[in-house]
Formats: sequence, C-alpha cells, structure tokens
Amino acid sequence: MSDAAIKVKVSDIREVAPTIREFTFTPLKGEFFPFSPGSHIVVEMLDGTKKIRNAYSLLSDPRDPSSYRIAVRLQPESRGGSIFMHQQVKLGDELSVTPPSNLFSPDWRAKKHLFLAGGVGITPFMSYIPEMLRRNADFELHYLYRSTQTGAYADELQSMLGEKLFTYDSATSPRADVGTIISGCPQGTHIYICGPESLIESVLAQAEQTGWPKSHIHYEAFAAPKPGKPFVVELKKSGKTVYVSGDDSMLEALEANDVEIPNMCRGGVCGQCITPVAEGEIEHRDEFLSKQEKDSNCCVMPCVSRAKSGRITLDI
Amino acid sequence: MQTVPTIKSRPVYSPVEIDQAVQQHLFIAEEGAFPTLSDLYQDCEGEKSCWIVGQESADKLPKGCHFIDAQSFEEAFGELFAKLPISSNLYIAGIREAFVWDIHKLAIQAGLAPEQIKKLQPLSNERRLFCTHCYTLTEGVTYTPFECPGCKRLLLVRDHFSRLHSAYVGVQINAEDPNDIPPKEELS
Repeated sequence: MSDAAIKVKVSDIREVAPTIREFTFTPLKGEFFPFSPGSHIVVEMLDGTKKIRNAYSLLSDPRDPSSYRIAVRLQPESRGGSIFMHQQVKLGDELSVTPPSNLFSPDWRAKKHLFLAGGVGITPFMSYIPEMLRRNADFELHYLYRSTQTGAYADELQSMLGEKLFTYDSATSPRADVGTIISGCPQGTHIYICGPESLIESVLAQAEQTGWPKSHIHYEAFAAPKPGKPFVVELKKSGKTVYVSGDDSMLEALEANDVEIPNMCRGGVCGQCITPVAEGEIEHRDEFLSKQEKDSNCCVMPCVSRAKSGRITLDI
Repeated sequence: MQTVPTIKSRPVYSPVEIDQAVQQHLFIAEEGAFPTLSDLYQDCEGEKSCWIVGQESADKLPKGCHFIDAQSFEEAFGELFAKLPISSNLYIAGIREAFVWDIHKLAIQAGLAPEQIKKLQPLSNERRLFCTHCYTLTEGVTYTPFECPGCKRLLLVRDHFSRLHSAYVGVQINAEDPNDIPPKEELS
C-alpha cells in the first residue's frame, strides 16, 4: 500500500444485521480527513502471508473526522476478505486503510434524489443522508432487504427519516416493484442504486423501456473481485512470470510479486489500473472499458478481469 | 456535412431520432425553422406538442401549435419544462445557434439531462459574439474579424463556444498594432 496509507485502530465492532458486521475505526494519531458522501476506503487485510484489499463504503457522517465506520457482509462464497473481517479482526486491532476516494458522489444539481439500496448496499447512503438533511435536499430512500440476513440500520433510519423512508423486507412481504418506484418521479430526479447486480439491471431495463434519461441513473457496481480459474501472466517488458491462483485477483498476484500498478477502487470501476495486453484473450469483468475496447482485447483491468485461457502476456 | 471541429467546445450536431419509449415530446422551433423538425414531428407517435418562438410564417405548421414571443419564452419554458414528466424529450430547431443553446440552458436548469435535449443543426451561420474585453454580447455576427460595438476593438471570432452565454468568444486580433487590419473572412 502506498505512503498515503492511514493506520487505524478497530475501536468498535457491532452486529448490525444477521450477516453484517459494522467496524468503527479511529485514527492512531490525529484526526481523519472529512470525506464526500459516497466515498469508500480500501482496507488492507493480512491473512497469514496473503494480502487482501477490499473497498468498503464509509457509512459515518462525512463531516465527522473522529472515526470512520464501514459495514461488511459475510460472503462465504467469496475470496476471503469478508470472512477475514468477520472472523479475524478483533477489537483493538490495527489495520491499514487508504484515504477516502469517491466514485459515487451525489449530483447536487438534481431536483430530487431517489436512493435504491439493496441489502448491504445501504452503506453509501448512510453517508449521503446527513449531508442531504443538512442541505435540506428533497430525497427518498427505498431500502430492499431480507431481515433474516440483512436490513442493517432500518430502525435507526425509520426514526431519522420518517416518511422519506420506504422499506421492503422480502422475508415478510412481496418483492419491491422497481417499475412503480421509479415511474412516479418528477422531472429532474436522479436515481442512485447500490446493491446486487440484479437490482441495478432491473432499474436500467425499466428505465430503457420507459424512456428515462440514462445520465440521471447512478450506480455503485463495484464489489470484491470474484474468484476464477488459475492462470499465468507473463510480463513482456520486465520478463517476469506471475502465477494467479483461483482466489487471487490478477492485481493482487502482481502486487505480491512486487509489480506495482496504480489502482484505486479495486473493483473494475475507476479505470486506474488499466494495463495493455500483448497476447492472450481476456475475460473482461469490469464496468470501465467500453464494449469496443473489450472486443479489441487491447487492455485489461487486472483488479477484476482474468485470462480466458491458461496464459496471457501483458505489455508491461 | 459538418466538419469535425478542431476546437472541442464547438457544438457538433448528431442526427436526431425519435425514441418511441419516451412519454412526452416537445418540439420547439424559432420562427422559420420548423421545416427542419417537421419529419421528426410526423414520425413521433407519442404525446407531442409544438411551440414556435415568434410569429406565424410561411411554413406549414402542425395544428394546435403554440406561439410565444422572444420576450416571454424564458419564463414560460422554464415553467413548462419543470412540469414535464421525467420521460420527456425536447427537439430544438433554430435559425440561430444562440437560440438553440438558450433553450438548452433553460432545459438544463429545469433538471433535464443533456441526452433529453435533441438539437438540430442551426440553419444560419450567424453567431452571438462574446467580447472577452468588455463582455458585450453581439448578435448576428457572420464574419471575422469583427468590431465590437461595446469597446470598438477588432475581434477575432473564435470557434471556442461558451455554453453559458450561447456565444462564441472574441479576442482582439491586433493588440500589438491597431493599424494592422486583417481581411474579413466569412464564418462557417
């Protein structure tokens, strides 16, 4: 991690839903930076010799520099980041995090803001809300969850937001109808979605069918990279050969071999880690490259994408 | 055909089509510019209305078309745009490019997204000119250099377009030697 890394202490751990744990970080020295609503930090986890770095949305008040809070949903099928946070991290532990960066900032020109949160996707909106309330902005939060697993902060939000909050608990009631939610929006509304891909896709499909302006729909698609088949990366210029295991991302494997690639979101969104490909077909899993760029096989986002076959060569 | 501008801020007008998924369509034309919109208007099967800024002209206009004068369209359109459903598109045709962008600006202020504002290529080469020295705005400029009516400086009319003023930017062409008067060129 770069020199800008911040050392933090885990000062509180709370279970906020059956599968979601909240962590409060306080700075080892001084104060944290205030941040903009929707920001995330990357948390570095040292699991034995393995380094995992995952991005998590900050859910504390952006203007409160005394602590940062994140919430982590246990994903038993994933590559181990959430398992590490749930099982290894203890009160008083020290961790390294990056300074906040933001890929999901509200558009303040909106006449009205409509938030759609699915499960643990509530987190970025937790940092939006204090700022929205301070600015007296017109907003609504639609929160979809299953109370047997998720639904963190639902009570707290209820008392804070009252009529601005709409909850849909799929454990006790029918699923939310996205079409109805978005169809009644007035001119100048911006929609923000954070949640599972299926939620984002259903809103986008609905918007397409009903002629909604696309640039008024914002979504946070990044998630920890999904595992895949192992493969080998050859580096054309430096001559190195790097093995990428099924559980590691290509970026993590390169970093473990002292190949530093500039990066930020580590989730295929920000575009920082773009790397030229010399040979071999890529299985593109990012949201950054255009379809043409993906088809041309010119470059890859090593934070999430992988080789289609057993071997690729990067032009670095 | 439009050539690709070397100055990035110069507007490029892409072909306009009707998206039938859109709920409401608003056609706005400057007096005399409606013929550019008439095919689109015909093709549009959705809920639609048409506004002409100016007087009736020799053009064949759709039935029920609204007229509004240049002095009052700002307020009227501001209110009209704010009340549109979110699934709406605007189609703007102008003789003057400044007209097209004045309407664009009103729509953005009302909360529309840029992709909802479909602009057709303006019919004339008349430019609104913004003097960077005295801030005077001059309408109907068709050649360069042009003497600013505000400060009398001879201005090079640049292709740099200000969306704030719906105007092209003018800078003095002969600041070193005011006696140097370059020949006039027709603007494109």
